[in-house]
Amino acid sequence: MSHIEIDEQRCKACYLCIDECPKKLIKVGEKVNKLGAKPVEFCDPKGECLGCAMCATRCPDMAITKVFRG
Amino acid sequence: MATQVFKVPDSIIKDMTYGFCPGCDHGVAIRLVAECLDELGLKENAITATSIGCSVCLYDYLDVDSVEAPHGRALAEATGIKRARPDKFVFTYQGDGDFASIGLGESTHAALRGENITAICINNTTYGMTGGQLGPTTLLGQVTTTSPTGRNVEYYGYPIRIAEHIALCEGTAYSARVSLDSVANIRKAKQAIKKAFEYQLKGLGFSFVEILSTCPTNWHMTPQKAHDRVRDDMMKVFVPGVYKDVLQKV
Repeated sequence: MSHIEIDEQRCKACYLCIDECPKKLIKVGEKVNKLGAKPVEFCDPKGECLGCAMCATRCPDMAITKVFRG
Repeated sequence: MATQVFKVPDSIIKDMTYGFCPGCDHGVAIRLVAECLDELGLKENAITATSIGCSVCLYDYLDVDSVEAPHGRALAEATGIKRARPDKFVFTYQGDGDFASIGLGESTHAALRGENITAICINNTTYGMTGGQLGPTTLLGQVTTTSPTGRNVEYYGYPIRIAEHIALCEGTAYSARVSLDSVANIRKAKQAIKKAFEYQLKGLGFSFVEILSTCPTNWHMTPQKAHDRVRDDMMKVFVPGVYKDVLQKV
């Protein structure tokens, strides 16, 4: 099943990935990380992720560390 | 069975966090350089000359040997490294203020001599690290801390188009301008960087890639709006494209 892995401690809350995801599966989380930012969370209860890696390509801080497709 | 289609490149130092502002495209550019180093197997053989500016901490991010150059002199230093060790892969990673303002002489003459090295230049139309002053690539009308009424021709002159300038030099093998405003353009940017690296490996001469980037902090914009500005304003003045390619005769 396609999915992504997010390193919460690297996210600087620029939220560019939220606009990039074609299925809108990335949301702002509630937690605060060591940088003082609210990192994004991956929410895909229906298994809609395409594994297109557009979020990871856009992320300037490599907070989306892994993308799996298939 | 899911296959992994994206990972953090091996040429990036493990468990580091960039010191850049949120939404800064320096992070994307460094990742693309690291991916190209991985794919061409250059990590163990590469030496980089880093510059002054936001790109100064490259050695904290890229797991390759690096030498810090005085402001603007990265290509002069890279020339020395390459001439002493022609077997090594040598590249520089510079900002537009470093490459095209204080280092314009070094940059132009490295291209004119046809040094077999690669230069990557990040163009964000301002001096990011020192607080957003007017740089050589600042667009006409752009407000900066040292042009509070906007850049005008009478007082400040015109911005420099670096990729075209380097393309005019006889020793240049490859000169291209790419943008990081969208995912499609990020993928094109990676192809351009890879091609520039390959031209050095083939020994064709000086290869250069100018990357249009954002500076949300000094532009006083959100990261999303900064990318809109790159697309709407910057790409009309600094048109992406290949300006010289000795193998394609552009």
